[in-house]
Amino acid sequence: MPAPKIMTLADMAARVPDGASLALGGSFLHRGPFAFVRELIRQAKTGLEIIKQSPGYDLDILCRARCVTKARAGIVAMEGNFGLAPWYRRAVELQQIVLEEHACMTLTAGLRAAAFGVPFQPVGGVHGSDLPSLNHWASVTDPYGSGKEVWVIPAIQPDIAVIHVNEANELGDARVYGTYNWDRIMSRAAKQVFIVADTLASVQSFKDRPELTLIPSFMVQAVAVVPNGAWPGSCWPLYEVDYPAVEDYMDTTRDLGLHMACAPERLERVDA
Amino acid sequence: MPDGWSGFSYLVINLARFIRPDEVTFSGVNSTPPMLACLLAKRAYDFDFVYLNVAGGVQPTPSTIPISSSDPVLAEGSTAIFANEDFYDLCTRGGMDLCFLGAAQVDGLGRTNVSVIGDWHHPNVRLPGGGGGAVMLPTARRAVTWRTEHSTRTMVETLDFVTAAGGLAGVVTPIAVFVKRDGRLALQSWHPEASLDEVRQRTGFDFVATAATPTPPPSVNESAALQTLDPEGQFERDANIAPLVDRCSLPRRR
Repeated sequence: MPAPKIMTLADMAARVPDGASLALGGSFLHRGPFAFVRELIRQAKTGLEIIKQSPGYDLDILCRARCVTKARAGIVAMEGNFGLAPWYRRAVELQQIVLEEHACMTLTAGLRAAAFGVPFQPVGGVHGSDLPSLNHWASVTDPYGSGKEVWVIPAIQPDIAVIHVNEANELGDARVYGTYNWDRIMSRAAKQVFIVADTLASVQSFKDRPELTLIPSFMVQAVAVVPNGAWPGSCWPLYEVDYPAVEDYMDTTRDLGLHMACAPERLERVDA
Repeated sequence: MPDGWSGFSYLVINLARFIRPDEVTFSGVNSTPPMLACLLAKRAYDFDFVYLNVAGGVQPTPSTIPISSSDPVLAEGSTAIFANEDFYDLCTRGGMDLCFLGAAQVDGLGRTNVSVIGDWHHPNVRLPGGGGGAVMLPTARRAVTWRTEHSTRTMVETLDFVTAAGGLAGVVTPIAVFVKRDGRLALQSWHPEASLDEVRQRTGFDFVATAATPTPPPSVNESAALQTLDPEGQFERDANIAPLVDRCSLPRRR
């Protein structure tokens, strides 16, 4: 019998060593593994590297708690009417973290290289941007003679991809409703995949519609079931962004503990 | 226009006017004005176009208009989910006709900075980053950006950093519409309550204004469509666009 993959959020976060590189699923305030991120803060992780095309709350709160030393990202913002991510901005400006600035698709090209098992991956566009010289990216001329110059991005292999999904089963199969953002390529690129699921669903329901499974169980090492775990973000169609809670979070004079105390996973921990 | 034409309405409607029949048009993250422009065009214009968005929407019919332009409700009514890798790959292979992309600074060549104010390594202000820009701007058939502030610090001669360069076809601000002509941004039209002088004064780069005219006022359909999208004026308030003319700092208008 394989070891059971279902565990508490605390046990899942405990599997993350200091200094690990984490790809986080979702986009901005939508379907991010936010309960997991808060658990990293409770466990006082340090030296983490965050890999995500469009982080916001997750990277910001990890910067606020000083858990992060490096970020690889394409666009970082709270979005909506909230604008810039204040603690991330401060961390970069004070050089508390190292930023590797990407376009969303150059980061994805790096993930694709890892997923495809090749050392680098071509990406369309990027011509005329200062990003290649900033990041020391190379370009290659089409070896098949078109004369086109293509930028190539080195592989980016996260230690762990952490994906918040609508439904998972006890084996670790996972599915998402609505867009899966960048989660598919993250799950294929990373060395391990951790799933945080809003709902536990039956194995039979996955057998009934296997084509809806985004991430198959054999690729998954850990599963935690955390209802409302994407709070204060959305998890379509279960719940929307909790805007008042994000507003409270954005009050930089307000103690982070007050925000953490409202998190839904705290309730779960009483029974855990 | 008896009631005037607000900077917000000008911005959204003129973004919508870049949308053409039957084309594939995309709105992304952090992009409320283009999201509204695409939804407005669907309501105001008597032609069809393929509306894609960053929420995976393909010809969506969202039941509510979200605060976040990446909200999953923007895929409601879609018959497919066209996720992030799909629409980027579509763009780089030449299948995106019109792409709306954000910018903090725009220069006269139509390049954009969304990365930093000051030196990249020692930033005065760390900005969000370009997201899709560096890949989509040079590969979309046309890309259009917008600024809610039209000033010499946003419309600049020299960018602090070139986040993206390439196929910018147009820029819309609360007072002006620029289009790319002979490799540089040229003024196409200005807000009828502003003036060419005001646009020049508030723009940091030189531009050609040959054939530029006051912008044709909103049609009944355009105004009605925006009204249905923002009946309470909440988006307009949230956009927080400065009053049209800063009369304190400008010479008298003609």
